[in-house]
Order: sequence, then C-alpha cells, then structure tokens
Amino acid sequence: MATHAISTPVRARRRAGVWRSMLQTVEGRVGLCLGLVVIAVVVIGPYVAPHDPNALGTGTALAGPSSAHPLGTDQLGRDVLSRVLSGGRTVLLAPLAATVLAFLIGGMSGMLAAYRGGPLDSGVSRLFDLFIAVPSLLIVLVVITRVGTSWPAIVIVVALVFSPRAGRIVRGATQAVVGNDYVSAARLRGESARWVVARELLPNAAPAIIANFCLYLTYSIIFVATLSFLGLGAQPPSSDWGLMVASSRQFISVNPWATLVPALGIGSMAVSFTLLGDALIRQVSRRIQVGGGEV
Amino acid sequence: MTAALELAGVTVAYLVEGGDDVVVRDVTLSLQRGSIVGLAGESGSGKSTLSLAAIGYAVPPMRMVSGSAALGGESLYAISFSARRRLWGARIGYVAQSANEALNPSIRIGRQLGQVLRIHQHLSGSALLAAEIELLERVGIPDPRAALRRYPHEFSGGQLQRIAIAIAVACRPEVLILDEPTTGLDVQTQQQISALLRALVAEDELATLYVSHNLALLGEISDRINIMYAGEIVERGPTASVLAAPRHPYTRALLDAVPSVARPRRLVGIPGRPPGRVAAVGCGFADRCAFAQRECATTAIGLTELQAGRAVRCRRHGEIALSSPAASLAHDRQPPSEAEPALEVRHVCCRYRAAGSDAVRDVSLRVAPGETLGLVGESGSGKSTLLRAIAGSHRPASGEIRLHGDVLAGSIQRRPSAAKRNIQLIFQNPDSSLNPAHTIGEIVRRPLRLFREDLSRADEEGEIVALLESVSLPPEFIDRYPDELSGGQKQRVAIARAFAARPTVLLCDEITSALDVSVQATVIEILSQLAASQGTAMIFVSHDLAVVRTVAARIVVLKDGAICEEGPADQVFERPQSSYTRALLAAIPVIPGERSLEEDARQTVS
Repeated sequence: MATHAISTPVRARRRAGVWRSMLQTVEGRVGLCLGLVVIAVVVIGPYVAPHDPNALGTGTALAGPSSAHPLGTDQLGRDVLSRVLSGGRTVLLAPLAATVLAFLIGGMSGMLAAYRGGPLDSGVSRLFDLFIAVPSLLIVLVVITRVGTSWPAIVIVVALVFSPRAGRIVRGATQAVVGNDYVSAARLRGESARWVVARELLPNAAPAIIANFCLYLTYSIIFVATLSFLGLGAQPPSSDWGLMVASSRQFISVNPWATLVPALGIGSMAVSFTLLGDALIRQVSRRIQVGGGEV
Repeated sequence: MTAALELAGVTVAYLVEGGDDVVVRDVTLSLQRGSIVGLAGESGSGKSTLSLAAIGYAVPPMRMVSGSAALGGESLYAISFSARRRLWGARIGYVAQSANEALNPSIRIGRQLGQVLRIHQHLSGSALLAAEIELLERVGIPDPRAALRRYPHEFSGGQLQRIAIAIAVACRPEVLILDEPTTGLDVQTQQQISALLRALVAEDELATLYVSHNLALLGEISDRINIMYAGEIVERGPTASVLAAPRHPYTRALLDAVPSVARPRRLVGIPGRPPGRVAAVGCGFADRCAFAQRECATTAIGLTELQAGRAVRCRRHGEIALSSPAASLAHDRQPPSEAEPALEVRHVCCRYRAAGSDAVRDVSLRVAPGETLGLVGESGSGKSTLLRAIAGSHRPASGEIRLHGDVLAGSIQRRPSAAKRNIQLIFQNPDSSLNPAHTIGEIVRRPLRLFREDLSRADEEGEIVALLESVSLPPEFIDRYPDELSGGQKQRVAIARAFAARPTVLLCDEITSALDVSVQATVIEILSQLAASQGTAMIFVSHDLAVVRTVAARIVVLKDGAICEEGPADQVFERPQSSYTRALLAAIPVIPGERSLEEDARQTVS
C-alpha cells in the first residue's frame, strides 16, 4: 500500500529519535558501553579463552597472576581467565529467558485485566499481590530442591516467580493508556478486543514495559547468580560466574581475582541493564510530559 | 499618583539549545492601586511568562534579558532572589490558574493558609487562628473554623479558588497577579469569583494584573486592557474603548472569533497559529493578518500613541478603525422539521452504581435530520452521561433510544453495524481521542475500512485525502503523527474521522472547550458546514452558552440530570422561561458594544 511505503521511513525516524535521545543521557551512554563490553565477553569469550576452562592443573593451584595465567589459577589449578571468558553465557541467557517468559505470562494477564476492568481486574490483581507476598527465594529453593536442578527448571521457576511482578507492571502501564478516549472510540467503532489490545493499547504501553523489562532482567541476573552461589543453579565443574564466586570465595585471600572478576562481571551486567532501563524510563516520562504539547 | 508596579522594557527569553528564544519583548506596563489591568491573548502569546516576569519570578530556562520592574519605586530585578522571595506573598499576591494544582492535596487548608501568615507576619497561636478565620470569611467560605481542618479535595473548584485567593491576599499585598483565575469553572461560579475579586480589589486597593484569554470576561472586570501577541503588546487602552472599537487587526480578529450569547454571530477564525516567540523583524501577526502588506513583515513597528490613553502597534491602524466588522449573522438555520426524527430519546434514566441519585432523570428529546440540538448545563448536569448513553458506552437504567425509528440496544456490542456507523461521537479532548501511535492516515482509514463497503482498498487513499481536505488539512498530514499537530488541527482530524463513517447522527461532547477562541471559530465553521452539507443531525454538548447559541437551532437545558428548559434557540436566549436558564445567561459576560437581537429590533422600531 502506498501510504505504508511513505510512512515506514517516518516511523523509523521516530524510533531512531527515542534511541538517540536516550544515548544523550549519561546513564544511557555508560549503560550501553558497559553492556556492550559484557556482552562481547559473553559472546566472544569462549572462543578466545587461552585454556580449556575445565582443564585441571594447567598451572600451580591458587597461583597469582602471571603471563601464562593473567588472572591466576583457582584451587584446582584451572585458568581463571578462561573460566571467566566462558562462564558468562548462562549468567546472561537463563535470566533473559526467564524474564521474557515472565513478561509473556504476566504481561498478557495484566494487560487483559486492565483492558477488561471490573471483577476480572480486581481478581487478577489480588492474585498477583498474593504471589508477590511469598518470598521468591523460598519458592525457588523449595521447588528446585524437590525437582532437582537443571537450566529449564530454573528458567521456568524464576519466570513463574517474576510473572506476577511483570503482570503488575504491565497492568499499570496499560491502565495509564486504557482511559484515553481513543480506546473508547475504538470500542464504539465495534473493534475486537484483539485489535484494541494489539493496536491501541500495546504501542502506547510498550515504552514503559520495555524500560521495566530492563530492570527486571537485572533482578533476574542477580537472582540466578544467587541460586548458583547457593549451589542450586549451575553445578560443578561449570564455570558459571555465580558458581565461581561461591567456590573460590574461601581462597579470596590467596587469589582474589578468582572471586572478584566473576563478581565484577555479574555486577557490570546488572548495572548496565539498570542504567539502560533508567535512561529509557526517563525518556518515556519525558515524552509523556511533552506529549500533548506543541512540536 | 505613582504606580504600584511599573514594568519598563521587559524582555524575557527561554534558554533553548543553540541560544535564546525571546518570548516577551519590550513590554511596558503600569499597575495602579485599586484598578484592574487586563492582559489578553491566545495561548502561546507570552501572557503567562509576562505575569511571572512582572513579579521577578524567573527560573531556568526562563531568563530576564533586559528591562526593569519597580514595586513602589523599589527595583525588583536589582535585588537577590531571596530578597524577592520575601516580597512574594507579602507585598505581591499571585493566584494561579488551577487551584486544584496550586494547593497541596495532603496538607490541611489551615496549614496552607497559615503558612504565608507565619512566614511574613510571624503570627502564631490564637492570633494566627483569628486571622485565618477572618480571611476565609472575607472570601466567602462557609463555616471557616471547620474549613481550616479540611483537605483540598473536600472543597468544590470554586471554593478552592476562593481559598487560593485568600492565601494571595492574606498579607494585604499591594499587587495582585491573577493568571486565568476562573478558567475551567462554571459560568455562575466564574461570576461569583469575579465579584469577589472586584470587591477585594476595591477594599484593599490592590493593583491587579488579570491574565485571561476570555475577552468578554476582561471586558466586564478590567479597567484597562492589553492585547498581547507573539510576546508584544499590540494594543492597549481603556477596556470599553478597545473592545468596542479595536484598532489592531489582531484585536479585531479575536473579537470576530468570540461567540456571543447576545446574538448568533457567524464566527471567523484566525488562520494559522501564534508563533510562540517574538518576530525578529516586522509585525509578528503579519502572516495571519487580513490587512498585511509586504512592508509589515520587514519594517520595525513601534507602539503608536493614540488619544485617550490608547496605543496600537500597527502601520495601518487608521484604516482598520474605518473598516466594518467582518461579523455577520450565523447561517440560516433550518427550523426543526416535522419529518421522522433521526434520533429520539424517550424517558431515559441513567445511574452510576456508586452514586445515590440518577445522573440522568427521565430525559426525552428528538433531533431531526440536518438539525443541530444544543445541550447545555453545568458540570455534573448529566449531559455527558446522556451522550454516552446515546453512543452506547453507558447502558441506561430505563427508557429507550431510537435511531431512525428502530430501538437501539443499550450496549454497543449488541448494536448492529449500521447503528455503530450512523452514530459518531467527537470527544472533548483531541489529545486523548487520537492514538499517538497511529498516523493521521491510519486514524481516518479505520472507519472507512469498517463501515464503507462501497470503497475498495485502492480508493481509501483518495477518500482520506478528500476527508482531510473537507476539514482544511493538507494531504501531507496523512503521514504525520498526532503530536506533530496543534490542538485545533487534531480536533479537525477527529471531525474527519467522524465524517468518514458518513453518520446520520453526530454527537459532539464539549469539542471546543480545550481550544483557543481563534481556533474554536474555525473548528465550528468547518463542523457546521460539513453537517449542513451532509444533512447530519447533531447534538452539540457544551457548557459554553455562547458557542451553543452560534451553532444550535434548538436548545435543551439540563439541570441535575433533568430537562429544565427546551425550545428554539432565539426563544431560550431572549425570553428564557426557567429561573435557572435566566441565572445562567445573566452570569455570562458580554463584550461591551455587543447588542442582542431584541435590542437591535427595538433600535429599528424607534
């Protein structure tokens, strides 16, 4: 269709505008740089690691940094640098999968609740509140000790724990737009619920949802790392950063790098997503303030 | 007599990327004690900025560029910000537009009122309490002792504005600045607040600056008036003389755009929109002006002093004084036909679950094809609820609604597609009724896709362009997003969307209340022409009786959910039967020099 041919660049321009202005904030820039570095380590790391991360006795156990082992070795003589380079994948991927799943489950119910309103809305909201009231670590601990640990199990349980929180956020974001007259106008035209949700509500609630998604990704990264630290997530001899921190912390005085570097990796990953989320939220709220004003 | 507040050559800029945006230039203004000076102009003309500059309240990005302000001979700009802060509240009172936002919702009225007395007059204990009670009594709050303990949400809008005024005058200031103090209030409340302000100004001899976009209101309350456009005063003088015989084309154009309760005038809008900053050279109004010549945009134009304290900033003010006003009587409006009504409402009652009483009580009305019915009433009179019931978004508790003789289901889901198509609703606020994520083309296309089986997909494009043209918007707007449009343009898109369905009944819910008068006039003209050409029956809901008089042939007055008066427009406005209608009409300010039809008739006879 002719209009679409014309409107695509316009749309691209608008979208680029949001990203560009996000990068004009300090949070946005720092968050993006840090995030790119961490992701580069996670993606490229395994291919450039000098040693097999699980090879035992590549050098003297618990040696400090040397030219052969820039970050030294751990208590089993494994190369810390190689382990750090190859151990980030699970730290990023499992939380990412869990957060996406949480926003799908929670998001759909939250958006439907906000759109329908009335008893369905209050019912769903109470249900969210109920689940949020139970300590999340407790639920995960109980479930994982029961079913045994595996990555699919962790992803599903973390997703379930986070879904009421995601649902509450999506419900709030939807509720902020559902009262607009364009929604009434669509209903009065006789539009289907699917159209109203997908075309009228979602595009306007999306910026707020994406911003919160970034923040929840952070929580989820820390959460999964915590599980690995507690021995419920990654299992030895995995080089998962959370597990590395846990297993090498008793030797922190001998080779601190084996504990500090993976911890720093988890931290930077979390901080970068938080900063990006903050920058996005600032952008969204600015647009809401500006919205309705003149160009 | 020296002025209480004297502004000279005040120039204000907003700091933007890449330099200063000058929004107010070279304004000279003096406020005398006991007199009210009006400041009028469209939104974006710089009047609110000027009112802040007048009291030296410049916070970034606002910046004072040059000029001086003297409060009783003492310079306001030469002293420090904290020294100025000691003057605000004590010697200068300020009332903002919305008392709702000016008062903190979580602090009791007593504390908010007492704060200014504690800071400036160091009152405490029983002296403070006595002063607070006396103040609330002065502004007419009943049972002041109890009111002090209440929170803002426990008061009506009018009462809150009274309280805000009490805070402003608490320390007996010399100067009072009012920024749109009655905008958004019902006409009767507006009249009462105006009366209160007039009394306070007289008693305390306040030197008052009254900022408003409402010329008729300023015509009644102010002694002198300043018309502001693009950051400059374009005309000033004694109010009655300026409004009765404007010399600047902008003043003239504003007056032509103002609807009148006294007579159904044809409104003439002002094309374009205010620039929002001062023109670099020449006249800022030149590109919208009917009298503009080439030189207007290129030569600097100063204020020319005329006789009797008047001044005007226009090269051609002499010719403008001589030319006759553009305003003519409104379109000949079709008398209500005896044919089958397009829409009939029979004994409809509506109620909300939470409320105790009915929002709409036993209302019956009918609208003939091509007829415009004006539905007026104050906020809470049930007019919006009735409209929602007709549109299908609020199910009436009893009664029936018939469209072309067929009874309509209460809820929209159970109405046939033809009914959805034939009844279209235009909402009050175009910011909210147009989805910001969709282009104008997508917004107008949707009703075509849903309701116009006669159009193939290939024809939609041409139809959208034709619809935009019918509301005077260029075809390029198809790819624009709503936030790239002005308020008036957005409302025109909403009109195009409504007419896209080719409705037989059009419901308009306060559609011009968020717009400037100059824009309102254009929107009303476009709407009336479209409805007339397509024979659309229209229900036009408004709290503004002057607007209703301009568009409607028949009027229904609602009070507390029930009809209290109904009849042809001329009869309702000239010879109102119910005391409520009479009170409503009496509360509306009329521009000086505006005569009613009856007065016209009397003049002709004698």
